[in-house]
Amino acid sequence: MKLLEMNHVQKTFDDLEVIKDISLSVEKGEVVSVIGPSGSGKSTLLRCAVMLEKMESGDLIYEGRYAARDVNGKSVYADKNELKEIREIFGLVFQNFNLFPHYSVLKNITDSLVKVDKLSKKEANERGMELLKQLGLEDKADAYPYQLSGGQQQRVSIARALAKNPDILFFDEPTSALDPELTVEVLKVIKELAAKHMTMIIVTHEMQFAREVSDRIIFMEDGVIKGQGTPDEMFNSEDSRIREFIGKLS
Amino acid sequence: MTFGTILFQLSKGLLVSVEIFVLTLVFSLPLGFIVAFGRMSKNPIIRTITKVYISIMRGTPLMLQLLVVYFGPNLLFGVRIGENYRFVAVIIAFSINYAAYFAEIYRSGIESMPVGQYEAAKMLGYNKAQTFFLIILPQVIKRILPSVTNEIITLVKDTSLSFAIAQAEMFTTAKQISAAQTSIMPLMAAGVFYYIFNAIVAWGMERVEKAFSYYR
Repeated sequence: MKLLEMNHVQKTFDDLEVIKDISLSVEKGEVVSVIGPSGSGKSTLLRCAVMLEKMESGDLIYEGRYAARDVNGKSVYADKNELKEIREIFGLVFQNFNLFPHYSVLKNITDSLVKVDKLSKKEANERGMELLKQLGLEDKADAYPYQLSGGQQQRVSIARALAKNPDILFFDEPTSALDPELTVEVLKVIKELAAKHMTMIIVTHEMQFAREVSDRIIFMEDGVIKGQGTPDEMFNSEDSRIREFIGKLS
Repeated sequence: MTFGTILFQLSKGLLVSVEIFVLTLVFSLPLGFIVAFGRMSKNPIIRTITKVYISIMRGTPLMLQLLVVYFGPNLLFGVRIGENYRFVAVIIAFSINYAAYFAEIYRSGIESMPVGQYEAAKMLGYNKAQTFFLIILPQVIKRILPSVTNEIITLVKDTSLSFAIAQAEMFTTAKQISAAQTSIMPLMAAGVFYYIFNAIVAWGMERVEKAFSYYR
């Protein structure tokens, strides 16, 4: 079953075409890594998928529901209520975590469950504590984000996204703000999610990680998908540009 | 006039100064938010109006604004103003003036918030009102507290400007007694009162800032 489908997506910023006619689909349980040099448009593609950016043209479809439909070369987005429901299908983990600094770790996870999803405080806290336990952070429940290391903050933000029970989880360079040691602890969490067949789309620069965790790697450059395949296919690609790019970073 | 009587008169004046101070804050702090939102509005007409308003309030002397608010209704429109209007004029002039300053402080605070906070809130499904009141506002308040404290301390001293329309607050009282007694002492005593008043305000604001120091 296709969880996400993007057809002929195009996006420009001030006349600069950042995404040029990209189509991709993601199956349930699939882990897809998106790699490519800076400025290749991979983060913009992800931001279009999670609707933090609006596409100029193309379709955006989650579980068969149209978030945006291409009408005569222009993306027309669904109404507010439909988009609100579609947003519940996915979650996003940001590069800079974007935790709420004035909320404790537990409240960062539970607040939207109570205020948005109308769970009882007790249910929300139980779910929050369970996730913190899974991620080895239960002793940090009452701490504030500034008291945590970057790796811990990123794990909290993963817990915050997971608490909403998304069908798809997006990661926007989840380890780019972390030093190598802290990177490991975050990648470990993502690998555990992959082992549980969580559907994930990961924009990353970590080649070895992408190789280990992904079912499919997409290589993007200049706003287009230059190649995609299984990790083995990509690491042994016949395309010299892809080999060169992967070789430089691994 | 004994020293005791002078202090008693000054205290009566101080009470009026405190009233002006409190009422000005009660009106200008919320009004500042409305002005700030007008200033950040997507509607160019609203934006321009608030911009002009702020620039007039900040670009002309508060004392002049006070005179215009007090005498304006009569001199411009022939409205007969009663004795009660004096105090009302003080509150109106101070409130609209301070609202302009607070608005700019609020705006700078709101605009200093990283866009990631809005994006995270959006991804978690918070609506716009929830995002503002639960996520953004508490952090903005923490950020702007030092600037707000500055303004509030200035306000304590600015209450003395009501002397321009003979509102009987502490400064006006002190000046009258000083002139009648040909003594500098009442003015010095008023100075001490203002100083103590501000020390209390500064202490209070420090407490508020402390209450927000549980996070960074």
